[in-house]
Amino acid sequence: MQPAVGDYIVFGLLAAGVIGGAVFTMTRRNPVTAVMSLVGTFFALAATYASLSAHFLAIIQILVYAGAIMVLFIFVVMILNREEVAPVALRGLGLRSLGVAAGIYLVIIFARIVRVNTPSDLPVPSETFGTVASIGDILFRDFLYPFEAISLLLLVAVVGGVVVSRSHKKEVAAEQAAERRKIVEELQRHDFPALADNAAEPHGSGGHH
Amino acid sequence: MPTYYYLTLSFVLFLVGTSGVLLRRNALIVLMGIELQLNAGNLAFLAFSRQLGDQKGHAFAFIIIALAAAEAAVGLAILVALFRSRQTINLDEASLMKR
Amino acid sequence: MPFNLRLIPLMPFIGATLLMLFGRRWKRETVVMVACLAVFFAGLVAFDAFFTRLPEAAEAGGLTDNVWTWLAVGSGPTGLHVDLAFRMDALSGLLCLIITFIGFLIHVYASGYMEHEPDYARFFAYLNLFCGAMLVLVLGDNLPVMFVGWEGVGLCSYLLIGFWYTDNANADAGKKAFITNRIGDFGFLLGIFLLFQYSGTMNFSEITSVAQSGSALMQPFWLGQPVAFWVGLLLFIGAAGKSAQIPLYVWLPDAMAGPTPVSALIHAATMVTAGVYMVARMHAVYLLSPAAMAIVAIVGALTAAFAAIIGFAQNDFKKVLAYSTVSQLGFMFAGVGTANYDAGVFHLFTHAFFKAGLFLCAGSVMHAMSGSGDITKMGGLRKRIPWTHGVFFICWLAICGIFPLSGFFSKDSIIAGAFATTVYGPAGMAWVGPFVGVLLVLAALGTAFYMSRLYFLVFTGPSRADAETQHHIHESPFVMVGPLVLLAVGAALGGFIGIPGALVEHPELNLIGHFFEPVLGAEMMVPHATEWAFMGISFALALGGIGLAYLFYGGGYREPAHQVAFQFPRFVALVRDKFRVDELYDAIFIRPLRKLSEWLFKLADRIIIDKILVEGVGMVVDVFGRFARFLQLGDAQRYMAAFAIGVAALVFFATRPPAPSELKVSVEGLSVQVDARRAGRQSPRELEYTYDFDDGREENQTAPEIRHTFRQPGKYTIRVTVTDPRWGTSTVVKRRVEVQ
Repeated sequence: MQPAVGDYIVFGLLAAGVIGGAVFTMTRRNPVTAVMSLVGTFFALAATYASLSAHFLAIIQILVYAGAIMVLFIFVVMILNREEVAPVALRGLGLRSLGVAAGIYLVIIFARIVRVNTPSDLPVPSETFGTVASIGDILFRDFLYPFEAISLLLLVAVVGGVVVSRSHKKEVAAEQAAERRKIVEELQRHDFPALADNAAEPHGSGGHH
Repeated sequence: MPTYYYLTLSFVLFLVGTSGVLLRRNALIVLMGIELQLNAGNLAFLAFSRQLGDQKGHAFAFIIIALAAAEAAVGLAILVALFRSRQTINLDEASLMKR
Repeated sequence: MPFNLRLIPLMPFIGATLLMLFGRRWKRETVVMVACLAVFFAGLVAFDAFFTRLPEAAEAGGLTDNVWTWLAVGSGPTGLHVDLAFRMDALSGLLCLIITFIGFLIHVYASGYMEHEPDYARFFAYLNLFCGAMLVLVLGDNLPVMFVGWEGVGLCSYLLIGFWYTDNANADAGKKAFITNRIGDFGFLLGIFLLFQYSGTMNFSEITSVAQSGSALMQPFWLGQPVAFWVGLLLFIGAAGKSAQIPLYVWLPDAMAGPTPVSALIHAATMVTAGVYMVARMHAVYLLSPAAMAIVAIVGALTAAFAAIIGFAQNDFKKVLAYSTVSQLGFMFAGVGTANYDAGVFHLFTHAFFKAGLFLCAGSVMHAMSGSGDITKMGGLRKRIPWTHGVFFICWLAICGIFPLSGFFSKDSIIAGAFATTVYGPAGMAWVGPFVGVLLVLAALGTAFYMSRLYFLVFTGPSRADAETQHHIHESPFVMVGPLVLLAVGAALGGFIGIPGALVEHPELNLIGHFFEPVLGAEMMVPHATEWAFMGISFALALGGIGLAYLFYGGGYREPAHQVAFQFPRFVALVRDKFRVDELYDAIFIRPLRKLSEWLFKLADRIIIDKILVEGVGMVVDVFGRFARFLQLGDAQRYMAAFAIGVAALVFFATRPPAPSELKVSVEGLSVQVDARRAGRQSPRELEYTYDFDDGREENQTAPEIRHTFRQPGKYTIRVTVTDPRWGTSTVVKRRVEVQ
């Protein structure tokens, strides 16, 4: 079966949405804008999935990706909100540009290969293709082990995330105390005992040495 | 649409993501580029799955989404830790290498 | 006939091992006991074997003992089969007796002589080790086993000469002995190899049968001389090293730096005779080459005369005896070199007794003179140390060749045999025998002279020593005198086993001649007239030499001696300096070698090894490291970029259809033959070719070759597009062609 005109239009729109959103994301300086456009890209992708009869996954895409992951990104962006002056990293730009060029070449070649090697007529999926029931069936039968494994992986990720982003208050305090001591010494050497007093005990009145 | 349309879309999406990963300075944007790459892979899986009529591709894509979530969480945690230690998420400044 | 021969060398080896492991903790008495008993038991076994078993087995090749198979490589004529095997026949049996008997006496003597030596155990361990090695040497049934013993005695010689190693001179003497020996060993080994290559065996009895039958060893080898000649020559080089003949004798006088018992045992009675033993063993090979025998005899005779002359002017007691040993060894070689094997070995036997006796007397005298061996300061010891004097007297007369002591018989048979020998043939080499004989006669005269000089200067006349030394002169203890006396008895009576009974119609009296028959062949036939003549001449010469020495030195330095020293001071000095041969060697060999090694050190060691190899390797690693450092970026983004570039390159090369860089086009008139293969080979992939011939016509096919005919002559550009249908990739190749 050959695709109809409407199919082409729909695909074209969706493709434009996806790629446009992606390009837009990658070129923003403001991280918040980038996150927002990424969300938009994900929506377009979900629609693309739906056009591939992957309905369940379309919904999951929106729920998990656009809903959960992007929220996480927003949180982090809020913590670290900084604007960039120049978006492109400067170190070794030549090599990396060459890498991008290689990527472009690869896309061209792969596109050609794929076009030659896949059938060009449209497949017609069955009634139950892409439904929740059939995917659930597969997940809990053939893919049970990966399913359980991935849940374990999520547990590991949660624990890992907590551990990695733990604040090291005690160590930070120790570091700061060490800093203060150094400053005190310097001042004492230069004979400024009054200032040293101040530096040693920043909050209360001067204590003993 | 014939499969290879979607596949080509997937390739181009991957390319965009990779370019971001390769060229950007802000670590957050780099992580987003990685998400794009993963989604490109997902798209390829679903295209083939439709062509072959085999739902296993969907299950696999599902797993990939879960994986991406875990990876994003950990990656962002690392980013936060990096920020705390270096006060920057600018990859150029955060790098300790000489050149 | 099998017998437990291995016990004979084993005993001293066990003794040596025990002494090396535990000797230091034992008392002196225990050490001596162990050492002497080891040799004693070895001697018991040897004597038992010799006197009770050997007579029956003598005809059948003697007693044998095959301990185990040592080397078994290959098979057949090119194979090598060597066993650790021993054989006692007449020849090796006699030497076993000498080694164990005289070895035992010297062990006993040394227990007294080395009384004040703190490193007691080491000394006796080495002595035992030496006895073991020497017994292996003589009992060996084949050349490798003999060589093991050969090297063993060389080692022990080095260890014992340099026993007091804390003094550099002693250590140097030990080194000199070993190195000079080594030079000889080189020739020895070459001889063994050559012999093996042409005879296929290293076993003595087999070699003898190969030599006596067939012409294997008579094939020409080099310079027109047969194999037997070269084998004989090379083996003799080894013998010259071990037995101190010209030009490798220089180590023996220096070896006197070792303790006197060592000099007596090793450098008089046993080790130095190994060369003579070896030549006697290989008599079958030597008999095949009169030229080789001539060399042996001439070198021996020259050495005998030369060393005797040097002995005229030596002032150290032991040095005189050392040169005397060299000279007497020359006699032995002259004997075996003139095919007078019985006589050569006979002289070995008698020499062992009187020379060991002389050396032990030297030890006794030096003991009396508070350690000095300078004969210029001796004199008049006849009355002070009578026992030593008595022994020395007998041994002195024996070595001079006075009837009826042993030396007379053995020396006489050698001299007579030299003149009477027929081994050189009636033709060109017939002069060798008489030439050797004359030299030996002169040497005998010299022997009588210098030994008598020694006797007169040491034992007669007033003492020339200072008062302190004179006061301390005393006779040696019994443990030293006892062996002396026994040796004197041997020196006196030993000759009676070799009486030339044929002269008085009693040929059976020549015990030794008959004794050696199964091993060395029949004794030499000397015409009676020659025999009587030389008996007379030898005796006369002996008396003459003694008389002459009396004139010069009787009772101390007399007028003629002073006259000669006055008239010919330079000549006397030259003789005393042993003709400066050592200095000559030093100039010719040692100094250039040293220069060469210094130069090599600078070149090879400093430059090549240190600079180029060691530092160079470091530099190479450094340079590589510098380059490799560029790859270690530590930057994930750049790594990923490199990754992408790599993948792109791989994909490029995998999907590119193999098109040629140049189209192969052959033109024939209006037709062309196009070949679009790369490197002339068919690609394994299925490719599609599109040929565009630039005249409006195209062809599509899967074959890389095509023929096309143009309608009109002219210039055309042929374009070939090679497509890989699997990947959808293609390349284009063009070629301009002119068609007529």
